[in-house]
Amino acid sequence: MNAEYFARKLVGLGVTVFLVLTFNFYLFRVLPGNPFALLFRGAGLSANAVQSLNSQFGLDKPLWVQYTLYLKNTIAGNFGLSFETRAPVVDLIVPALINTAILLSVASVISIVAGILIGMLAAWHRGSGFDVGASAATLVLYSMPTFWLGLVLMVIGVLYFSLPVAGMKSFTGVSPGTLGEFVDLMRHMILPLLTLVLGLIGQYVLVMKGALLDVFTEDFMITARAKGISNRKLLWDHGFRNAVLPMVALVALNLGQSIGGAVQTETVFSWPGMGLLIYRAILARDYPVLQGAFLIVTVTVIVANFIADILYPMLDPRVSEQ
Amino acid sequence: MKSSLYLAIFLLLTISIPVLSLAPAKAQTPVTFTVGWGAAPMDTLNPTAVTLYDGGAYVVMHAIYDTLVRSDVNGDPIPDLAQSWSYSNSTTVVLNLVHNATWHDGQPFTSDDVVYTVNTYLAHTELPIMRLYVQNVKSITATDQYTVQINLINPDATFIAELLPAMYIIPKHIWQNVSNFTSYANSNPVGTGPFKFVSWGGVNTYVQLAANPDYFLGKPHIDQLVLRYFTSYNAMALAIQSGEIDYAGPLFPPAIVPTLTSANGVEVVTRPDQRYYYFCFNGYAQGAGNPTLRDVRVRIALSHAINNTELALVAWGGYATLQNTVIPLTFAKWVNPNIKSYDYNLTEAAQILDNAGYKVGSDGIRASPNGTKLSFKIEVPSDYSEEYRAAQVIANAWKQIGVDATPQITDTGTLGNEVVAWKHDTFIWVWSLGEVVGPDYFLSMFKSTEAQPAPNGGLSDSGFMNSTYDQLFQQQQVATDPTQRQAIMWQMQQILHDNAVYVPLYDPLAVQALRTDRFTGLPGGALPPLNQYASNNLFLSITPISSSPQVQSTQSSIQENMTTTAAPAGLGTDTLVGLAAVIIIVIVAAAALKMRKKSTPKVQ
Repeated sequence: MNAEYFARKLVGLGVTVFLVLTFNFYLFRVLPGNPFALLFRGAGLSANAVQSLNSQFGLDKPLWVQYTLYLKNTIAGNFGLSFETRAPVVDLIVPALINTAILLSVASVISIVAGILIGMLAAWHRGSGFDVGASAATLVLYSMPTFWLGLVLMVIGVLYFSLPVAGMKSFTGVSPGTLGEFVDLMRHMILPLLTLVLGLIGQYVLVMKGALLDVFTEDFMITARAKGISNRKLLWDHGFRNAVLPMVALVALNLGQSIGGAVQTETVFSWPGMGLLIYRAILARDYPVLQGAFLIVTVTVIVANFIADILYPMLDPRVSEQ
Repeated sequence: MKSSLYLAIFLLLTISIPVLSLAPAKAQTPVTFTVGWGAAPMDTLNPTAVTLYDGGAYVVMHAIYDTLVRSDVNGDPIPDLAQSWSYSNSTTVVLNLVHNATWHDGQPFTSDDVVYTVNTYLAHTELPIMRLYVQNVKSITATDQYTVQINLINPDATFIAELLPAMYIIPKHIWQNVSNFTSYANSNPVGTGPFKFVSWGGVNTYVQLAANPDYFLGKPHIDQLVLRYFTSYNAMALAIQSGEIDYAGPLFPPAIVPTLTSANGVEVVTRPDQRYYYFCFNGYAQGAGNPTLRDVRVRIALSHAINNTELALVAWGGYATLQNTVIPLTFAKWVNPNIKSYDYNLTEAAQILDNAGYKVGSDGIRASPNGTKLSFKIEVPSDYSEEYRAAQVIANAWKQIGVDATPQITDTGTLGNEVVAWKHDTFIWVWSLGEVVGPDYFLSMFKSTEAQPAPNGGLSDSGFMNSTYDQLFQQQQVATDPTQRQAIMWQMQQILHDNAVYVPLYDPLAVQALRTDRFTGLPGGALPPLNQYASNNLFLSITPISSSPQVQSTQSSIQENMTTTAAPAGLGTDTLVGLAAVIIIVIVAAAALKMRKKSTPKVQ
């Protein structure tokens, strides 16, 4: 991969992030319904209190002044104060991000690895019972609404396996010590994890299977077989290596989508991550939190795609020569 | 062909996670009362900055901090930090404080703290809610170490009963160094209340509190209180069934009640709540909605075409008590019992409209003499979308009398803006007990001063302005004789009824649940036990049943609870896990066996 390619991608990253920042700002200013009017209506705040809140958050300044303030603050890492709690938005986002990262990273790893393996098996034994069964099962799971799947798993898990319903920790019945806490975390994590994995695995299986079947039709595979290469080397060193390229792109793209799945899963299981934060902020019309959260999510997806862009030429040198 | 082997290994590894997680926990813990909270979660640990009055914050704040006076199970004031009080004249209140209260850090509570608190709320007008409680306070002085005197600006007989139960007393020695009250995190709250703060998981999670052994009213019967936020009532219903929480509230939707009642060991508590749903007419004289609503005859006729009983069934499955006036039924003696809603009578409604000159036009819709059609929007805020069905029922009834109505769900924030601009026609919304703990809150939105021209906002959404009503409101505020106050408030409700300002609809029941196999001591009374102002009555009276172990291995309680679900009784968890493992191993083994054949590669 040459420097020009890298530089090009880096500039693209910068421009996209800037556009996202601008759009993010505009989107939340353009939405109807002043959040303080809502607080006011529900809680009977006086006009004075609303006005002081407005000026506290700079909502009474002209739009372009707000925009420059917003750019300056965002780059400095100041995402403002939450409307609902008046705590710094960063203080709300960071712990939520960590909680979601725990759930999402484990779920992603499991679903990617399992997806690849199942996909490869399905492609190798195309047409067999395993292939038909696995493809059908994963397709069905993929099409299910995440929150419905979560609810079903919750009922099964709680009633038959005495798993906790929601949250991240228990307050009674936890064996003391780090092992006890770890087991407690596992018990809380298993259901949301399963929901996410079952929802994500479908795509990976199908894409892997399709990509591998595609590779099987290539001439070099016949050549390799003719040279006497064993099945295992054929599958892994030749088949897998080529089929995994679209998977890399898919994983990066999926990051954004899995945040959406995380929103539903976290809401069902009251898992205090980014998804739940976004859900609560939408209900409370807490624009600074939403702005900050959306920005983080968008930038994460952009960066992930950037990494995928960088990884691609390393895996397949043909890509950067354009 | 080894990927099947990899798959098998991988699957076995991932199975270890659930197996680990099924290890039952055994530790004995202090007696913990876990409350599931399904409304807005705690937003802050800072009592001066609390806004979401329906949030868990109020419940937690009342557990940590005390107020001068508390609401009992019927909503009447009882002593708290003030053991007795009196009015020395119409604008002076004298409160005698308890002598033995201490702050959680050991410092003694004295009148200095009360003086500091009130002066702080007076000085900091930016504090959203606390400022409300001292609006009418001119000054406060400490006459001795345990007595304070509060001087009011105007006479107000409701000051003690309605404002003091919500005004948290904060410790001077901690807060005197705080500069910015609204953003102060107060990460280790210190109060005088029955529970001490232990930990907070952050917004949208939980709060953990420990009993205060030195509480001046006596130590609570439980050792630990945990308030956990749940995003959905479905999850909470499961949680109380499985024993993960001991109390659930504050407002279960009626659809879940059968699940709760069928669960063993769970008692369902239904009490009327301190709120009511209403149908609003925009009668504001300078409004931008349909002007025919300013005619009281039109409003009365339309009121005759709204059937509370049916609507309560449609929207709440019958889990609501009907409202005839604008004060929720929980406020018993303040509700005028002589007022009955306009009876549902479409013929009479049509008659009134005919007599008033609103004849049916050629398109089937009535119009005023100058041509304005009786064509209205019935809006429902998005946060209360269950009322949409009620709106549809109303629209259908109105169609039969020649009135055209379009029900629609509007974003709550947008609707709020519309109200401020007086652009609405009609809507269904709810008034809940706000920050003021008294019945006259529900009369306050009809004061002329609350009907502000756009773009100012006031509490009023009906635009009602009546000088007699305003005078009566002043009078009831200063009336020290409860009988006299009651008479005035009844009269005010009559005025509102005669003018058909609103159509009060219903007061939905607050449905909550308790694990009665673990705890006893549910307080009686008129209020729902988990109520943002009176929750301490629950927390102080709840007592563990000594024979029930609070171990978290809930298998036995789950098997008892499996009634309507199609679970075969007797299939233990271990059996199921073993079964699942066997099935997976069989599948993998079969796959592995197939692999062993030297199959030709599937390359074309």
